[in-house]
Amino acid sequence: MAVVESRRPMTTDRRTPILVGVALVAAGVGLRALDAAGVASLRNFLIVFASLLVEALPFIVLGAAVSALIEVFVPASVFARLARMPRGLQQPIAGLGGFAFPVCECGSVPVARRLVAKGMSPAAAITFMLAAPILNPVVLVATAVAYRGRDILWPMVLGRAGLGLLVAIVTAWVLGAGRGPDILRSGGRPAGGLHDHGEVPEARWTEYFGHLASDFTMLARYLVIGAAIAAGLQTFVPQQVLGAVAGTPILNVAALMILAALLSLCSESDAFVAASFVQFGMSAQLAFLVAGPMIDAKLAVLYAGTFRRGFVLTLTALVFALTLAGALWFQVAFG
Amino acid sequence: MSLSRSRRWSALRLAQTVALASWAGLFWFLLASDRTSLYLSSRTAWVVPLGAIALSIAAVGRLVTARTEEPQPLGSRAAWAVGFVLLPVVAILVLPPAALGSYAASRRSLASGLVSSAPSLEAGGRVTLASVAAAGWSEDARRSLVRRAGSRVSFEGIVARRDGQAADEFMLTRFIVSCCVADALSVQVRVVGAPPGRFDEDQWVRVSGAFYPVGKEVVVDASEIEPIPQPDDPYLNV
Repeated sequence: MAVVESRRPMTTDRRTPILVGVALVAAGVGLRALDAAGVASLRNFLIVFASLLVEALPFIVLGAAVSALIEVFVPASVFARLARMPRGLQQPIAGLGGFAFPVCECGSVPVARRLVAKGMSPAAAITFMLAAPILNPVVLVATAVAYRGRDILWPMVLGRAGLGLLVAIVTAWVLGAGRGPDILRSGGRPAGGLHDHGEVPEARWTEYFGHLASDFTMLARYLVIGAAIAAGLQTFVPQQVLGAVAGTPILNVAALMILAALLSLCSESDAFVAASFVQFGMSAQLAFLVAGPMIDAKLAVLYAGTFRRGFVLTLTALVFALTLAGALWFQVAFG
Repeated sequence: MSLSRSRRWSALRLAQTVALASWAGLFWFLLASDRTSLYLSSRTAWVVPLGAIALSIAAVGRLVTARTEEPQPLGSRAAWAVGFVLLPVVAILVLPPAALGSYAASRRSLASGLVSSAPSLEAGGRVTLASVAAAGWSEDARRSLVRRAGSRVSFEGIVARRDGQAADEFMLTRFIVSCCVADALSVQVRVVGAPPGRFDEDQWVRVSGAFYPVGKEVVVDASEIEPIPQPDDPYLNV
């Protein structure tokens, strides 16, 4: 066929919604049949997958709700004032933003995206995105509870906070310095002002729920993919494969960072898991707690849907290298 | 009163409403059917009502604002995207309420750093699977466990077998969840004196008998093993 169909404006096709409905029913019946066959790995996958989603989805909605709030109700002058702050201060302040606004990693992505679209410097917005899931009271208290009664309690809590802030600032500076909203993927750019060009300006709430719903459907899609990958890794990669390097310096730190990336835990619970890796030593556990909330399987998909190409790779390389260096220094200084 | 242009339903906005409402419905279902404990620990269970309320507000808000003078069409890509977001809702609703099984025991790390929930054995507290987990990490917890050796315990968990394990033995396994099931860690005790072939893997049982810490393991010399239904809280929480 030589006819090249140009992309026509989308029209409502009544058949597709019906097809989608049929596909969902078929998927339900198929899953039920597969489960009845008693495939242990499939059941394990689905339990972990569902649990990751049940845990993370409320935070996606909250993140989208706050992001829409920023878009619709915060006047542009606020962002202009923020952008006029001394450059050297913007990033550290953004990094401590988690204390004012405790979000975990799934919620911080839509907020950062909106901040960039609103004109905040990408370096500051990414610092917030990376640091807020660590530098917030809930997570630091959870870390203290997980390590309570051990002599490395304070080194772990303060090390997590300090190294987390440092890695976030340096990574965000490399990724975002000198860039503008072009750091967002074109498809991942929030729809601010781009949709609903009715001649009558729509009521603010219509706009608000519009941003909320489109952020939610976009991010939920990436979260579903990310949770599926994380659940697959949890199901098919035995955690014991990493145990062999527990006593080897440097390799043990790398191993726990990789494990954190594979597990995709929420930053409020990861300290309990890290605390169970006693055989790995303090620097490796610290690296698990610093790198995990910044990059993992679930987040990689969310980032890839939000930021331009190459972002995830650069971020992963930076976070891993900086965390490794920082954790080793910590071991030498306080170990 | 007539508007200059009539407002019509926007297909795209209705599809977004369906996505939000379905997830809201799922969270209400988890609450109503008490299934939260299958996915989250009691520490994080508050996320479910929060999600149910936030999603409901978002769904209602989107529905109320779904009529517009310039309705956006629903393209087939957008329709499939909404379907994809609904897939996990369908999966969770159709599947039976199962908890992690022995398959996970072979792949997950052992709990060895969790001490917070263990009752104090020194104060005469009951020996629980949490105290067994605590002993894997803390020397003090281990010593107090050893001092109670020989006393009678009653543990609930699932039957898991290791390769080459004797026919009258199995590993009684329970998972400890601190936030969601993705962070589950296992705690296991070796049960000896079980009737060979009576209990299938993944069967929930209550094992009663005398316990003995042996090296890194805890052995229970079973005097009674009875099958039980999956408990309402299949996971131990910290």
